[in-house]
Amino acid sequence: MSHHFLDVAGLCFAYPDGTEALNGVSFRLEHGESVGLVGANGAGKSTMLLALAGLVLPSGGTVNVGGTILARNTVGEIRKRMGFVFQDPEDQLFMPTVFDDVAFGPLNQGLSVPEVSSRVRESLEGVGAAHLSERPTYRLSGGEKRAVAIATVLSMLPDILVMDEPSSGLDPKGRRLLIQLLKKFTHTRLVATHDLDLVMEACSRTIVLHEGKVAADGASREIFENAALLERCHLEPPLCMQGKC
Amino acid sequence: MGRVEPSLFSSTSDPGIDQANRPDPRAFWVVTFAFVLTVTSFGKYEISRLTPLFFYPVTIGTLYGVSARALLRKAFFALPFVLLVGLFNPLLDRQVLLEIGGYSLSGGWVSFFSITMRSMLAVTSAILLAMTTPFDRLCLGLEKMRVPRVLVTQLQFLHRYMFLLRGEALRMVRAHDLRAQGNKPRIALSTAGSMIGLLLLRALDRATRVHRAMLVRGFDGEVRVLHPLRFSWSRDGGFALGWILYFVLVRLVNLPEWLFGWVVGR
Repeated sequence: MSHHFLDVAGLCFAYPDGTEALNGVSFRLEHGESVGLVGANGAGKSTMLLALAGLVLPSGGTVNVGGTILARNTVGEIRKRMGFVFQDPEDQLFMPTVFDDVAFGPLNQGLSVPEVSSRVRESLEGVGAAHLSERPTYRLSGGEKRAVAIATVLSMLPDILVMDEPSSGLDPKGRRLLIQLLKKFTHTRLVATHDLDLVMEACSRTIVLHEGKVAADGASREIFENAALLERCHLEPPLCMQGKC
Repeated sequence: MGRVEPSLFSSTSDPGIDQANRPDPRAFWVVTFAFVLTVTSFGKYEISRLTPLFFYPVTIGTLYGVSARALLRKAFFALPFVLLVGLFNPLLDRQVLLEIGGYSLSGGWVSFFSITMRSMLAVTSAILLAMTTPFDRLCLGLEKMRVPRVLVTQLQFLHRYMFLLRGEALRMVRAHDLRAQGNKPRIALSTAGSMIGLLLLRALDRATRVHRAMLVRGFDGEVRVLHPLRFSWSRDGGFALGWILYFVLVRLVNLPEWLFGWVVGR
């Protein structure tokens, strides 16, 4: 049985001021699935991702990553299996050089130096950023930062990739490269984004969040053809379905 | 930004600086510590005996490409604090110590100059340490010298936080200036108050996000790096020993007096 699944059941979370961000969210991702998580601002996408990585502790419900239930004592194990790419790559890159940053995760996993070096090399090659290895992270362009941020996660060999707004701040070419990269990955992927065209290209399935609940879950094309659903959830069909591209 | 600036203002090493040809940070720490110890060991009326100590910042600055201007500009920020320390000496100590060309100089003024000189020497040596060695290597050096890891990690976080704070401040000031009036917009006191509060909140938010990014990649309180330090006894040991011997010499022998006597004697 594959350990690369993600099962979320009845997840609830409320912020200290009482705002209910998640209100009984349930879904399951199978091995190798690429799923888009869409919704209007404040729908609960980012909170959802934080809860998956145990960065905020849900007030109810369960997160099951490959058979391990998220709890205080399993959060380390969960984070080993789940690669989390943050919305702002600036937040993700904190080490002196690209190499050090990509090596940060594997070193924390206790790998040997040759193993870490080879993982860093492979991850950077995987995102087409091998030439940036010795560069300081603060001197990279937006697209380069995004590629390196993804490599920092790939180097930990995660079973599941979770990405928050991966295409934000990218130029068209950078975005195109990202889509190609996402298509190339064989990991189970969950991509939270407002870029519905990206979802159409890179995700076969889409989950729509609305007011902290799953409003719809199904094939991306079917979801984006449902005008009433999109209207209700403050969304619009992707540009490619509006005949604008 | 200048060639050596990133080692002071960012948590990154400048690729333009070849660290392989620089002394090991442990040697640099030891030399800087010995220098500060030597500087502070002189009496409060010593001025001329301090002058040979200027050889250290001048040599290090020249060897490692730190311009005097950049060094002095940074040292200038410490000057108000230095002046404040010795400010009352001329008022409290009025006993005449020196007579130069009919002018008398009180002990207070001599000690004031001595304090200023010693403080600036100590400050410039610390700045040189930061400008010639990237912060992460300095921290690694401390860790190798068995400074408690928790303290080193705190230093790394503090440094990173300063960087975040600076970034957020720059963004806020830019946003303010774009909507303010005039060519050189000034931040009103009332606006500055709320901006500082907001700045702290924003920087804390950002720091939380960075911390989260570290947590999801297995951070457990220790920052591990792959580039181990290599201490070469011939290069780094020689560097440290050479400078320490020089500081001992300056401390034990009145070099300016000896040099003066030697020149006059000839």
